[in-house]
Amino acid sequence: MRAMVSRLNSAVSGLFLFAFVAVMPTLVQAQSVNEGQSVRALTTDSSGALLVLRQSGLFAMDSQNTTEIPLPPSDSGAQPRSMAKGADGSLYLSGPGLGIWRYDEASKRWQSLNDTLPDLGVTAIAAHATQAKTLYAYLGASGMFRSRNGGAEWVKVDSGPREPVQAFLHSDMPGSMESGWLFAGTTRGVARSMDCFCFWGDAGELRGTVSAIDYDPSAPENVYAVIEGQLHHSSDGGETWAGLEIPQAVTALTFSPSEGLVVGTKNGELLSQNASGEWVPVYE
Amino acid sequence: MVFPAGLARCPGPCDGGGAPTDSGSVPAGVTEGRQIYEQYCAACHGWQGEGAADWNKPDEKGEMPPPPHDETGHTWRHSDAMLFRMIAEGWRHPFNKTDRLTMPAFEDTLTDQEIQSVINYLKTLWTEDQRRYQPNESQE
Repeated sequence: MRAMVSRLNSAVSGLFLFAFVAVMPTLVQAQSVNEGQSVRALTTDSSGALLVLRQSGLFAMDSQNTTEIPLPPSDSGAQPRSMAKGADGSLYLSGPGLGIWRYDEASKRWQSLNDTLPDLGVTAIAAHATQAKTLYAYLGASGMFRSRNGGAEWVKVDSGPREPVQAFLHSDMPGSMESGWLFAGTTRGVARSMDCFCFWGDAGELRGTVSAIDYDPSAPENVYAVIEGQLHHSSDGGETWAGLEIPQAVTALTFSPSEGLVVGTKNGELLSQNASGEWVPVYE
Repeated sequence: MVFPAGLARCPGPCDGGGAPTDSGSVPAGVTEGRQIYEQYCAACHGWQGEGAADWNKPDEKGEMPPPPHDETGHTWRHSDAMLFRMIAEGWRHPFNKTDRLTMPAFEDTLTDQEIQSVINYLKTLWTEDQRRYQPNESQE
């Protein structure tokens, strides 16, 4: 009898252990994604999964799974600050002291794109909306750089707006003399230029330090910008802006093919709007 | 507002050789281009290509004023094909508050060769670096 009880205990323990081992990684991943750390940056990958950058790391997230993507190596301990999705779905990541890196999904490795940059002080990057090989980088004092070959060669094209750029965006909104528009979130508001870098002008009268900016690819006149946690929307390409009510301070935003506008918050949550227009947690 | 590529015309050498040569001689067409510029363009864009004052801000009508064509402007950032298109077909900034073409169309006034001559003249107003940038970097 004692032996039977012992075997039963052992079997139950084994079952618990199996369940623990099977479930734990998911719990760990879920905890690492939702541990209350502010969302630094958001974008999507080629399959439409959300890519969430936090202090603790970079995570790919869809309705089923959350997986961590190891960050590129950095001897100086530099932290990534911004991400961009190329027209071909490639993921680009940058930060001051880190420069610019591209993630190769096949090999699961990061490739440095810094060979021809004058320094690694990249504070913002953007990827061309329709040209997969065209990238833009803002290096603070060194100015604006463009690459037309996927980061192999960078050329200085401009000094940028008068105020330093915090967030950067290329849009295929119609009306440009060239192939699109650049929106730069600065310490003064949103600056706008055709992508010929003809000149930077104010996009409306929105004022303050812009920490994130994005646009709706399906309706490019719709531009969104975050100033001090407040989300602002322009439906006319940046000419006029209106504040949007969101229950938390916003720190990042992106457009997801399945969820539409997704915002990351200071509390670490990811929110999108439901059919009633309410902001609710993504994938719940 | 983006012009269909099929509308692009660029007779003659689109990579244009309008700048003064190393020997200091003036390429063919530049003198003609200057005369045409002074007749049709200078009243708005300035006799030296200096553009309107405050050209990079909307004026009281909500229109972007005529930009400079010299080294202080952005003409050098555009390809010959785009410059040709803008002269031939005209242009309005998409955020102007009026609907009119603030840059009139000259396709019924100037021949293709005359338009190209004007572009060649404009290149003489740029720096050497800008002349190098324009064919290499500006998009077709």
